[in-house]
Amino acid sequence: MDEFQEILQDFLVESFELVEKLDEDLVELENTPEDLELLNGIFRVAHTVKGASSFLNFDVLTHLTHHMEDVLNKARHGELIITPDIMDVVLESIDLMKTLLNTIRDTSADGGVDVAACVARLDKVSGGTGEVEAVESSATPVEEAPVEEDVSSDDEPDYDNMDDADVEAEIERLLNQRQEEDKAKRAAKIAAGESVLAAPPSPTEDTPAGEPKAKPAPATPAPTPAPVAEEKPAPRAEAKAAAPAKRAPAAVEQTIRVDVKRLDHLMNLIGELVLAKNRLIKINDDVEERYEGEEFLEELNQVVSIVSLVTTDLQIAVMKTRMLPIGKVFNKFPRMIRDLTRELNKKIELEISGEETELDKSIVEEIGDPLVHIIRNSCDHGVEMPDVRAAAGKEETGTIKLKAYNEGNAIVIQIDDDGKGLDAEMLKNKSFEKGIITEKEADTMSDKEAFALIFKPGFSTAAAVTNVSGRGVGMDVVKTNIEKLNGIIDVDSEIGQGTSIKLKIPLTLAIIQALLVGVQEEYYAIPLSSVLETVRISQDEIYTVENRSVMRLREEVLSLVHIGDIFEVDRILDSSEHAYVVVLGLGAQKLGLIVDTLVGQEEIVIKSLGDYLKGIEGVAGATIRGDGGVTLIVDVVALMQMAKGVKASASNQSEAAQITNEKTSASDYKIMIVDDSKTDRMIMRKALEPMGVTLVEASDGQEALNTLKSGEHNFDAMLIDIEMPRMDGYSLASEIKKYNKYKNLPLIAVTSRTGKSDRMRGVESGMVEYITKPYSADYLASVVQRNVNFKSEFL
Amino acid sequence: MSDKLKDIIKTQSEQQEPGIDHSADIVQLVGFIIGEEEYAVPILTIQEIIKPISWTRVPQTPPYVLGVFNLRGSVIPLIDLRVKFGLPPKNHNDETRFFVLKQGDEVAGFVIDRLTAAIRIKKSDIGPPPDTIASEESMIDGVGKQEGRILTILKVNKLLERDF
Repeated sequence: MDEFQEILQDFLVESFELVEKLDEDLVELENTPEDLELLNGIFRVAHTVKGASSFLNFDVLTHLTHHMEDVLNKARHGELIITPDIMDVVLESIDLMKTLLNTIRDTSADGGVDVAACVARLDKVSGGTGEVEAVESSATPVEEAPVEEDVSSDDEPDYDNMDDADVEAEIERLLNQRQEEDKAKRAAKIAAGESVLAAPPSPTEDTPAGEPKAKPAPATPAPTPAPVAEEKPAPRAEAKAAAPAKRAPAAVEQTIRVDVKRLDHLMNLIGELVLAKNRLIKINDDVEERYEGEEFLEELNQVVSIVSLVTTDLQIAVMKTRMLPIGKVFNKFPRMIRDLTRELNKKIELEISGEETELDKSIVEEIGDPLVHIIRNSCDHGVEMPDVRAAAGKEETGTIKLKAYNEGNAIVIQIDDDGKGLDAEMLKNKSFEKGIITEKEADTMSDKEAFALIFKPGFSTAAAVTNVSGRGVGMDVVKTNIEKLNGIIDVDSEIGQGTSIKLKIPLTLAIIQALLVGVQEEYYAIPLSSVLETVRISQDEIYTVENRSVMRLREEVLSLVHIGDIFEVDRILDSSEHAYVVVLGLGAQKLGLIVDTLVGQEEIVIKSLGDYLKGIEGVAGATIRGDGGVTLIVDVVALMQMAKGVKASASNQSEAAQITNEKTSASDYKIMIVDDSKTDRMIMRKALEPMGVTLVEASDGQEALNTLKSGEHNFDAMLIDIEMPRMDGYSLASEIKKYNKYKNLPLIAVTSRTGKSDRMRGVESGMVEYITKPYSADYLASVVQRNVNFKSEFL
Repeated sequence: MSDKLKDIIKTQSEQQEPGIDHSADIVQLVGFIIGEEEYAVPILTIQEIIKPISWTRVPQTPPYVLGVFNLRGSVIPLIDLRVKFGLPPKNHNDETRFFVLKQGDEVAGFVIDRLTAAIRIKKSDIGPPPDTIASEESMIDGVGKQEGRILTILKVNKLLERDF
């Protein structure tokens, strides 16, 4: 059973690959029906699938592919000219084949799909003409075939000039040819038998359709044998020249099929490594600061830079293993356009370029549907009917250009059509009628913003709902899907000239460049792809217009929102005079995000918040920073939406919490002693204990800050040593002074550093007194008493 | 030879049987205190128990969701069970622990006041939750009685379920 599953898996993978290529080939075949190499390729696919499926006992699939094979075999031998009508049947059968393959993948069986109708039609195509022209057409190929053989045997001397690979390829080709011929003969026999069986229903049903078809049929084979016979050597020679060239690399190319899960796992591990690298860089910076000038630093620096370099290379290498050419997605469009043109009675040509551009697998999987929507839309609404086009002085055949190219760290997929273009005024009116925008918004809207309206939910420009598009759901789904990939959509259009839609998508989803910003004590990461610029402004540059904060940025008015208002951050720190504005851009939309600090640019690994916290508005995920802490990643799209609901919160700072506790006894005074030396703490304790005040000790700056922030005690003063591990006295003082509520907390430095510059630094960091060691117990007590306004009655 | 093997396997399985019977009767739990009460969760649902580490606040969440923390490279939500159970929040101290519970793919950290002990309790000593609590919606799986103390056994899947 397991073995069967394994074979089945291989069969499915192979079949899907083959079928994918088939679509493209078939459409091409319609344009060049004489291309034998192409026909052979298509025939081989049908044949391979048939063979494998009969081996695996998928009778329905075998039945279908068998009849496809018949038709294709006839075409291959020139008995049948591929007309659009025949192509429709063939394409239909390929669709059925896909459905069957999908069914097999899901259920391991090929039941539940009705192929009878399609098989009957296929039969009619091969058998129907065969009935009328049976003798003639089956006779011609027999005559023709030897001619072909002769032609190819003429080439025989060439074998001497071939190298091994070519010879092998040639042998393979001949073998294939031989096998196919054998099979074709067998198939023909079976087909002959079956067409007799299938023939009865066809005349009754389709005589009118069958007869006109039958009439041109005898006409066509007549002229074809002559030109075909003459023309054949040329394409064949070409094909032969091309074939070895194509096959030779296949022999050299070595590939392994790898389970995607393994690659995902590898990518996760690399993610961890990137995080560790970030952490290493941070530690290196710290060490550098502390041990400046030490010899081992250089060595450490070297190691760190090598690790970081290799990590980056490794990341790129793994990313590349996950890359697939976008051609995989583009392949299905020629077929789609062909079907659409027939359905809509339009003439449209599709030009594809850049299909070799590579994208992450997960993105390739996601990008298909949005592209289908966009291209359908271009066909339906963009390109006009042939007569309209002619009247407008354009060529009757419209062109849709689909191209992909790299641009920096992103890939751009561009869909251009030369249709009627978007009418900004019409879009505005329509949106206004539908209540998507207000009249005022419509007035102030730029053309570019108006074009973006087509992505609004509930918007549809088609007057009539067609089968193709126009239900008003398509384009907003496109936008959501693209934005899910962190992508950006840009629409440009000119009336009468056409529309151009650009999708800009990051190369990979897992690791991105981000701008880290700080607000109060929190940090957030903003994807750098949506950051246009950052500006430093002072508070008085912020204006309030209609309850919304705005600023003037060069010639524009930029609406502003404070990141703290969006993420409900408590304003506990004193906000400085200056603020930074991160200008976010998303398509035509712009927004200024006010933050307290800019931390810098960093490469971050996107991690999900898990099921429990998923879908939190404004948060796209989280990342782990160099220090091991978690930082949330801003969802710029959601943030722009949320910003609309935020009212201007003029710089209203929360009132500093007053620490006016009435002191009723000496022990109500609380003083913190911060010193890394236990002896020093003891000396201070001894000096202050006689006063009867409550003393709390901390052994370094970090601990002191934590104790202070925990809010367990309300301190009246702090005695701070300067030289301490983890966080020294100066840093502690400046940290404390950032908080509004500690603005008036007296900080007293107690240190053996006596230099003038040390004192200056003390004052700068917010210390009010500077006591040098050694000191007398009385002096310390008096300084403390003075600073805490110690009531004399407690003495 | 194979007979011998069979014999060995047979005697082994016979030896194991009483063990299996034994463990079927006994439930292993880990007890912890929140506020004044003792609660317990099945020992196998606990991925690990760690001392408090720093976490990052996540906006737009109910007060009992403290935020997320980094557990060796995974971002895990942190829930304060005190607040979830309607008690006032309390500063973390030396006895505070983060319980990392896991069921299926769902993982979350829970802040508890104090750890008590690993408990082996007979199934027969576990009673149903009080009738006053609707059984489907309740977080309580049952009430265990042991040596004069009462344990409230919690449903881990309910704890890990997002309810906002």
